Amino acid sequence: MDPLRAQQLAAELEVDMMADMYNRMTQACHRKCVPPHYKDAELSKGESICLDRCVAKYLEVHERMGKKLTELSLQDEELLKRMQQSTGTA
Amino acid sequence: VPGVPGAKQSLPQLRDFLLVYNRLTELCFRHCVSNLNYRLLTGQEEQCLEGCAGKLVHANHRLVRAYVATMPSVLQRRAQQLQEPPPGASPHPPAAPGPGQ
Repeated sequence: MDPLRAQQLAAELEVDMMADMYNRMTQACHRKCVPPHYKDAELSKGESICLDRCVAKYLEVHERMGKKLTELSLQDEELLKRMQQSTGTA
Repeated sequence: VPGVPGAKQSLPQLRDFLLVYNRLTELCFRHCVSNLNYRLLTGQEEQCLEGCAGKLVHANHRLVRAYVATMPSVLQRRAQQLQEPPPGASPHPPAAPGPGQ
């Protein structure tokens, strides 16, 4: 594959993954901050602040997980190689 | 994607890696983060996240190992089944017409 095309695909992939992360984040924060009492359409102050903090925390967790995963993923690469060899997909 | 070893590998593997990453974040966040009185993570939450990340990654390793150990024989069985004649079909060629026909 043309390296420029590969780079373009990788960038598109990253955008998709960011969107995926965003969706998971909104779902998680909604669950944590907005109890299913829908009498009033407006967000309470508590709910609003909770959502703000939730987003901040989720992004912090995302960053930490990234670091941890990178740290441990050197082992992943070894396992992936072994997987390819044993199933003959290398 | 900075700092990601997977970026050097092929695209499907990168996609898998990034999905695992997002799932890891979601799972550990849901389990460990309960204190939304603060904007910053508490010490307890940090500790929980550390354990959660490590545990999930090691669980993933274990799963891959188990898959690698089991899958080849599954594929082999499947290949064998595809080569065998379908059930109900006669394994012998049809008999030649008898006398008088």
